Amino acid sequence: MNISHDYRVSEAYDELLEPGGQPRCAARALFHYLNTLQPGELEARRQSVDAAIMTMGITFTVYSEAGNIDRAWPFDIIPRVMAKTEWMRIEEGLKQRLTALNLFINDLYNEQRIVKDGVFPLEVIAGSRNFRQQCVGITPRFGVWAHISGTDLVRDKDGTVYVLEDNLRVPSGVSYMLENRQLTKRLFPEFFQGCDILPVDDYPVQLYDALAALSPRDGERPVVAVLTPGIFNSAYFEHSYLAQQMGAFLVEGSDLMVDADDRVYMKTVSGPRRVDVIYRRIDDDFLDPEAFRPDSALGVPGLMRAWRNGKVGIANAPGSGVADDKVVYTYLPKIIRYYLDQDPIIPNVPSYLCMDEKERAYVLANLDKLVVKPANESGGYGMIIGPRASPEERAAFAELIRANPRNYMAQPTLSISTAPTLVGDCLAPRHLDLRPFILQSSRLYATTGGLTRVALKAGSLVVNSSQGGGSKDTWIVDTEDACYPA
Amino acid sequence: MLSRVAENLYWMARYLERAENTARLINTTTDVLLDLPKGASFGWDILLKLVGLDELFEEHYREANESNILRFLIQDERNPSAIVSSIRRARENSRTFREILPKEFWERVNGLYLYVQGFASSAAQNRAQRYEVLNHIIERNQSLAGLLISCMSHDLVYEFIRLGRNIERADMTTRIADINAAVLLPRQGGALEPLQERLWMSVLKALSAYQMYRRHVDVHVRGHAVLNYLLLDPHFPRTVRHCLSEIEECLAMLPNHKEVMKVTRRTWRRLTGLRWEGLAPAVLHEYLDQVQTDLGAIHVAVSNQYFYFYMRQQQTTSTVRVVNE
Repeated sequence: MNISHDYRVSEAYDELLEPGGQPRCAARALFHYLNTLQPGELEARRQSVDAAIMTMGITFTVYSEAGNIDRAWPFDIIPRVMAKTEWMRIEEGLKQRLTALNLFINDLYNEQRIVKDGVFPLEVIAGSRNFRQQCVGITPRFGVWAHISGTDLVRDKDGTVYVLEDNLRVPSGVSYMLENRQLTKRLFPEFFQGCDILPVDDYPVQLYDALAALSPRDGERPVVAVLTPGIFNSAYFEHSYLAQQMGAFLVEGSDLMVDADDRVYMKTVSGPRRVDVIYRRIDDDFLDPEAFRPDSALGVPGLMRAWRNGKVGIANAPGSGVADDKVVYTYLPKIIRYYLDQDPIIPNVPSYLCMDEKERAYVLANLDKLVVKPANESGGYGMIIGPRASPEERAAFAELIRANPRNYMAQPTLSISTAPTLVGDCLAPRHLDLRPFILQSSRLYATTGGLTRVALKAGSLVVNSSQGGGSKDTWIVDTEDACYPA
Repeated sequence: MLSRVAENLYWMARYLERAENTARLINTTTDVLLDLPKGASFGWDILLKLVGLDELFEEHYREANESNILRFLIQDERNPSAIVSSIRRARENSRTFREILPKEFWERVNGLYLYVQGFASSAAQNRAQRYEVLNHIIERNQSLAGLLISCMSHDLVYEFIRLGRNIERADMTTRIADINAAVLLPRQGGALEPLQERLWMSVLKALSAYQMYRRHVDVHVRGHAVLNYLLLDPHFPRTVRHCLSEIEECLAMLPNHKEVMKVTRRTWRRLTGLRWEGLAPAVLHEYLDQVQTDLGAIHVAVSNQYFYFYMRQQQTTSTVRVVNE
């Protein structure tokens, strides 16, 4: 295979190749390796890895009208490569961001200094359904609310990496990051030797430590449980995977109970057993029917009072979703400056708030150039990509914006970067993003790289697995040795 | 261990054991059919009664012929005990505790599931392939059991699997032993004895017990001796008695086992009290039914003690006595 000859980069930034067709420094070794492969060899390896995915049962669930479909995880075998030097800077930026976000959340639920100082308008959270009255006045351990963040990064045409959004509620995907690396090791074992690809597999231990630090009972080995909505949830595979990797219990709401002294117990075959920390993978709304939605069958009655009284640690803390909001997102550069007195290391994508009259007018006048997103939906639902929508679709969306301006924000359509992706037996450019996972508890940690999500359809910008996206292994490569002259 | 997980483990083991034994039952039946003389007939509908599925079958099929019954027992997902359904449910259950079983276990259960998906219909429709496919299912199921025996801690998780496996196995052994009730022999025509001997031989073979029977009991295969062996032999792992002692061993490892143990002992006493010599087929059938009912009572006691007790607990107590596993 001759990549320089066969692979055509598009107008977007390509992660592997420079515009002239030469490999980028960090990708040089991969590039040369791919060039040594015979035609058909990649396709053969892809088939063997697909078979491995089937037998390993790596799946995710898609909701559809026909019921829940368990699909094999779509994995592209060509890794995405990034230089360690670039990554280290991004890592600093991610940690900076989560630190500021947690200071912000804690401030919002307590003194609201940032509001009083006129940096952040109260009306934003007054309109947010993720601001939980039940959390006012609480300071969790370490002052940290969002212990786990999945932050989506994209790279624009000129090579700048932007933060697209911060997922602070129940971000998923980290198990696929770990499994992707296992698959790639099976695929290219000869390549891993002698190449400085940084490992990713310490995440489960880091996650366990971050959770264990939240235990209310110091000095004892804490009982940690992963709380899942159950087998029909799209991320069930991940819940089970993480519990397994951490040696934690995988529990459903009905497995837990809270007693009159606000302690949380699991129902076991030997009787009730105390639970110290809950890594919950269900939304606030369903967490506790006493405190939130009374019709929730997934939750645990009394869980909120147990948490408020310090009898159990919950990650992410209830109410932390208030900062997982695309309107709050637009304030993040200000939030970072306010709490940390630093400039943001990773920039935000320029954004327009529809709640602001002037900006709304701009958005409505430029719908054909912008991406408009609802402020607090996830999974790529309910958004419009202006340049790709029909005039009728744009007109209908304009009505939605006018009816509920608080609920929308807009960004220019970025020309997000591409990387070679196996299509049939050829490599073709496909758009992708990167979701690293950041932990904050007694200390800060970020995954090495993260989950690269790739839009498998030609030209598509939507990378969500629920919308036909796939994923790649992400290699952070130490280029100090790798950058010898080719 | 979580009560919900314990229940899922228990049922996963039962489903797998049920699939294996259904495969064994069908293989014997096919084998018996080949040995029947002219004039003898096989009551297919009785086969359905043996596994307790006759009513469900009648809801979905008009004619109880070989092809309908095999489709129903092997691949019809409307039948929750069909081989395909059992394995699918075992797979779904094992998805809920991938964090506690060895990783290879899930891969193999999933592999078995994919295999059964692919071959169930040819096994149901084609006698020639049936034997091979069903044997393959038996083989894979044994590899699953072997993996657990040799590659996981024999802790509570394991005990609940062993408990489910042995309750199901004992139950299926009584049903397979009952298969002769389904054969209606011609009234005239001599040579009854060698024929019956062959039928009982099929039963032993279905349970992979023929060789051990010959070694430990007799070269001749006689009805009451076979029954005595399949119900009361302490050493062969598919006999009811052996399963009961396995069940007792499991229970001894579990917390708060007093009640369940009592029920198991009662079953044990009743089993050893029964006399199996010279029984008329109808009485024999009743006896076996009784053993099945007793095994059902153990299941109910296990469920009440370990799977549902926490519901009562939640209603009645507000402060909680802590336990450690």
